[in-house]
Amino acid sequence: MLEIKNLHASVGGKEILRGINLTVNAGEVHAIMGPNGAGKSTLSNVLAGRDGYEITQGEVIYKDQDLLSLAAEERAQRGVFLAFQYPVEIPGVSNIYLLKAALNAVRKYQGLDDLDAIDFLTLVRSKLELVQMDEQFLHRGVNEGFSGGEKKRNEILQMALLEPSLAILDETDSGLDIDALKTVSKGVNALRSAERSIVMITHYQRLLDYIVPDFVHVLSDGQIVKSGDKELAKELEKTGYSWVNKEA
Amino acid sequence: MKNLTELATPFASMTPELGSDLAWLKSLRLKALTQFNSQGLPSKKQEDWKYTSLWEMAQQEFTHQVLTSDVNETQCDELALLEDSHRLVIVDGTFSANLSKLDDLQEGVFICPLSSEQGLEQAQPHIGQQIDISKEGLNGLNTLLMNDGFTMVIAADVKVDKAIEVLVINTGVTTNLATHLRNVIVMAENSQATVIEHYATLSDAMSLTNVVSEVVLSSDAELNHYKLQQESSNAYHIATLAATQGVGSRWNTSSIALGGKLSRTDVHSKLMGKQSHTTMDGLYIATGEQHIDHHTRIDHLVPDTTSDELFKGVLDEQSHAVFNGKVIVHKDAQKTDANQQNHNLLLSRGCEIDTKPEMEIYADDVKSAHGSTVGQLNEDNLFFLRARGLDEVTARSLLTHAFAVDVLNRIPSETIRTALSTQVEKHLPKSGKA
Ligand SMILES: Nc1ncnc2c1ncn2[C@@H]1O[C@H](COP(=O)(O)OP(=O)(O)OP(=O)(O)O)[C@@H](O)[C@H]1O
Ligand SMILES: [Mg+2]
Repeated sequence: MLEIKNLHASVGGKEILRGINLTVNAGEVHAIMGPNGAGKSTLSNVLAGRDGYEITQGEVIYKDQDLLSLAAEERAQRGVFLAFQYPVEIPGVSNIYLLKAALNAVRKYQGLDDLDAIDFLTLVRSKLELVQMDEQFLHRGVNEGFSGGEKKRNEILQMALLEPSLAILDETDSGLDIDALKTVSKGVNALRSAERSIVMITHYQRLLDYIVPDFVHVLSDGQIVKSGDKELAKELEKTGYSWVNKEA
Repeated sequence: MKNLTELATPFASMTPELGSDLAWLKSLRLKALTQFNSQGLPSKKQEDWKYTSLWEMAQQEFTHQVLTSDVNETQCDELALLEDSHRLVIVDGTFSANLSKLDDLQEGVFICPLSSEQGLEQAQPHIGQQIDISKEGLNGLNTLLMNDGFTMVIAADVKVDKAIEVLVINTGVTTNLATHLRNVIVMAENSQATVIEHYATLSDAMSLTNVVSEVVLSSDAELNHYKLQQESSNAYHIATLAATQGVGSRWNTSSIALGGKLSRTDVHSKLMGKQSHTTMDGLYIATGEQHIDHHTRIDHLVPDTTSDELFKGVLDEQSHAVFNGKVIVHKDAQKTDANQQNHNLLLSRGCEIDTKPEMEIYADDVKSAHGSTVGQLNEDNLFFLRARGLDEVTARSLLTHAFAVDVLNRIPSETIRTALSTQVEKHLPKSGKA
């Protein structure tokens, strides 16, 4: 599904990703943990195609394609989904409009027609139910005035609707209360399948109780310094990251 | 006729047909002529015209001689903003009875072309009351040359059942046609109406529309007054909307300026009665080489009046827009609540905005806020939309649209809001690469 090879990326001349290697196969769930400022969001932004990063070395292969040569929207249309750490508010663009436009963009790439209004609404309603969001959120501006937790739920709603092949969740669990965490996890687990891969960035082991990862990686100072299974996350919970610098 | 700077003098002998037998109008025109001859067109040396040059317009040769022009009903229906409305149509400067739909007016609603005997008679006491031809050069020209327009008088307590669309069409059959229109709206106590002044062209022919609308709102009257200007990119458009407001009256205006090569719109309200309110909104979308200028003024003259002003602009390519908004809270106008905002979205490096929100406050117990911003599309928002699969062009137009429709969302009627929004969408830049 995804193969990141020796990826180096800089912003404004400052190197932030310093040789990332990571292979994510179809059906796998990977968790990426690591201290603040390690480069986790940078990695997800680079994968999603945000402008402003200079890729100095390395490559990323997604479904046998050179991911880095594609524009952000082309990646999204091919099934790459980034749930943002800080979802933006867009007053004047209603949530439902965004959902429809996003879904139709993906469908168009797949050679499918736009969903008609009734089918679309039925589909959206089922996804709303999955993430337990009220229908009124559809008619508000995208994330406009949403609480922190509501914004995160809204990201998962978009993901549930778009059914991406590769979902990158950047701290989707941060700021969620316990119930919301369970709901969001349910949404993510519903997406788990043999054809899909999930990369979750998180600071907290508790998320991994709900969405059990196949692999856990520690990203520190722009490199993956340790990989393991879910036990690694438990270890980190106890020891923190102080050992990272020592080992490096 | 030669160019506009020399325009007035030739017109001393070429008095427009309208009311040529009426002494009051003759003397009004004579006054305007004297004024115009002494002042000429406004120049960039005048503060109010600092950013808008009429020089190029003055080089054009204009005519008032209309060749036969024909607009059929289908064309008219297609142009019209609203399907279900009372409609007064003016084609190439002259009222068209055939195209107008004014047959089912309820009692107490008077709408007539200014060129009709009754229209002029009803308008007479109000013509020239809301404008100062000694200060505003083109209003003087309008007074000198006005030849049609409409008069609307709404009787006390009457709520007009449907919106009234005044559709002003320039066919372009006569190239270089100059049209001077005067509109008068008089709202008696506690009456209510919605009027849309809609200016459109059918071709790219060069033209000039010069219009003055004078509005009088008696106590508790409410007028929703929208102006949609979508003339061709070779059109010059000069307009003034001016109102005097009595106690408890509400004037809700919106100037949607989408077309024209050069357009200048002045909106002026005088809050003369307590508890009166003005909403003064505007949206301008300028692309290509368009120049769109709005000058607004709100005078709070008595205590307990409110005003709320929101102008937004979207500029692309080499366009130039001007916003100059003045709110004056006069000495006795205690407890005034005034808000004025102007926000601009610049989509290219070549465009230019001159924005100047101004508040002059001479009372001490006043609530006021004003501000202006000039910015570009938010990159984070853009990336978010693209990360959801929307291509860059779509994402940019969507964000631009969201920025712009904010103004239209303040229009209470959904039908009108939707109709205006459709027109706005047609004019929004699609290419928009920053
Ligand atoms: N546009 C930028 N300009 C300069 N520095 C940047 C820019 N973007 C990211 N950085 C820096 O890159 C480093 C990595 O940032 P990143 O957001 O990827 O960290 P993170 O691992 O996601 O941290 P957190 O856990 O706090 O979310 C930080 O030091 C950050 O300040
Ligand atoms: Mg981060």
